[in-house]
Amino acid sequence: MPAKPLVLADVEIAVGPRVLLRRLNLTIGAGETHILFGPNGSGKSSLLSAIMGLPPYHVTRGEVRLGGERIDNLPVDARARLGLGMAFQRPPELDGVTITALARALRADAGLADAAAVLDLADFVRRDINVGFSGGEIKRWEILKLFLQRPQICLFDEPESGVDLEHIAAVGAAMERLLGRDGTGDQRRSALIITHTGFILDHVQAGMGHMLVNGEIICSGDPNRLFAHIKSHGYTLPPWASEPAAAASDERIAS
Amino acid sequence: MTTSLREDITVEEKALLAEVGYEEENERAGTCVLVDQAVRHIGLTDNAVEILPLAEALRRYDWVQDLMFGLIDPDEDERIAEVAESRHAPVGHFVRVLEGAKVRLPIQLFTLLAAPQGRQFHHNITVIEKGAEVEMISGSAVPRSVHAGHHVSLSESYLREGAICRSVSIEHWAANMEVHSYARSRLEKNAHATDSVIQLAPVKHHVSQSRSYLEEGATANDQSVIYAPVGTTRIMDSETWLKGQGSRSESITRMVTAGGVISNRSTLIGDASGTSGFLGCNGLKLTDEGEIFSVPALRALNAQAQLSHEASIGMIDQEKLSYLMASGMSEDEARDLIIQGFLNLDEQKIPEAVREEVIRAIAAARSGAM
Repeated sequence: MPAKPLVLADVEIAVGPRVLLRRLNLTIGAGETHILFGPNGSGKSSLLSAIMGLPPYHVTRGEVRLGGERIDNLPVDARARLGLGMAFQRPPELDGVTITALARALRADAGLADAAAVLDLADFVRRDINVGFSGGEIKRWEILKLFLQRPQICLFDEPESGVDLEHIAAVGAAMERLLGRDGTGDQRRSALIITHTGFILDHVQAGMGHMLVNGEIICSGDPNRLFAHIKSHGYTLPPWASEPAAAASDERIAS
Repeated sequence: MTTSLREDITVEEKALLAEVGYEEENERAGTCVLVDQAVRHIGLTDNAVEILPLAEALRRYDWVQDLMFGLIDPDEDERIAEVAESRHAPVGHFVRVLEGAKVRLPIQLFTLLAAPQGRQFHHNITVIEKGAEVEMISGSAVPRSVHAGHHVSLSESYLREGAICRSVSIEHWAANMEVHSYARSRLEKNAHATDSVIQLAPVKHHVSQSRSYLEEGATANDQSVIYAPVGTTRIMDSETWLKGQGSRSESITRMVTAGGVISNRSTLIGDASGTSGFLGCNGLKLTDEGEIFSVPALRALNAQAQLSHEASIGMIDQEKLSYLMASGMSEDEARDLIIQGFLNLDEQKIPEAVREEVIRAIAAARSGAM
């Protein structure tokens, strides 16, 4: 499946009558990695859920397009089959459903052992998904799930939160491998990553950062520079930042 | 191989029985197949195992008379009385595992109702002698061409002191059949039983009643997975009597209705000091059709009995469905996986062929194909 760009054009996202995010314009080109920064409650997870098509989030205005095809009116499984995948921040526990059973259902059991070993989850393949997993184990499983699913565009919801320091590098390395950046010859995938701590920036090559405040993307630019600004000045508009619409066309760093 | 009765079962019958656990007999310590109202086939590969038609066992061992109706009162129920008062010789199997034997391969026992509108009355007796250890797989099946019939079975199991028995039972009757099964078991001092019961295929009306009596130090663990598609009614009534000091039991029942009716009364009775027991009854209701009626009950007759239960009935969690669908599976595939998980089909305990059949049964029931 060839890589496709993900485009959000003037998107508004709501839960029922309540609008959570508005005026979202974002283009993630094929093979690019973007980082989304924002304070608690700014709507980062809601944005990822809405792109994925998870209830109760709805796109109430604008369009979400994947490779030119409009997807915001499709159910979640159809979006996944078109190439979207998501590593959840707080996934549900699935009693009785083992990692092996899920891999079998995805017809990906042949690659399970190798992928699990990379993420130090070889002993987990017969465990029920997310049942009794630590925070770090959940995050590693969510990345392993994407290895099994092999989407074109990966949505990561705080992949490093709850991961102990010794595993953050492994998580980052696994993400790089998943995204096709480690030279193993796998296809290049795109990514949109939510990070709260910024630790993952030390391990994942990202070309573009966005700051989401009060349900709107207020600026975009180099992710490391943006994160440095946030550490010093909080979630304020940096003087050097481009307008979000301009960033989409001028400052986007193609991989 | 020592074979006491060999009137071979056909290739087609073997294929049918494979869906409920049958494997070639060199993989089994013993095999018994009852077809309609006769013991058709018995095969043995282990000298510590004895399998006979019950009528033959009564002739050969006078003590078997004392076991027959030893755990069940003929006056308890009109169907039991009908079997007890029959002028015909009893039909069923007698299984015996000799004292101290550690039987390496499982024993497999099957019932086949091959005659359309057939009526079966089986009486089975099992004796696991002192210190013996064995696994048992039992299955019930009907050919696809048989839609209706009536099966009544009485089972009496005796686990002698220190005996260990692990069993899996798979029932696959026809959609318009009536089934009445009565099971009784006595676990003597320090005996241990583990039972897995799988009832997933459609059946018009299935009434099962079981009673277990645990003596000093005996333990029993059972798990049942019950599925009721549209048109199926299952009525279950079980009692576990913790009669001996320190006896323990754990019973887990998982019920799914896709439009059928499930009624489950499960009672745990603590009748001695130091006893402990747990009942878990969980239901999953897939549609607005049908019903789950679940009554886990605890009855303490001794101040030193510790009994507990949990019960729940719910629907499939939308969050779990969405989570699985976000990996690319359809809603139906996601539902099937959640149902299989809920039924918790332990791969270690259930033969692979049976597990695959169960997965097919769930998918077929969900799609209305059964």
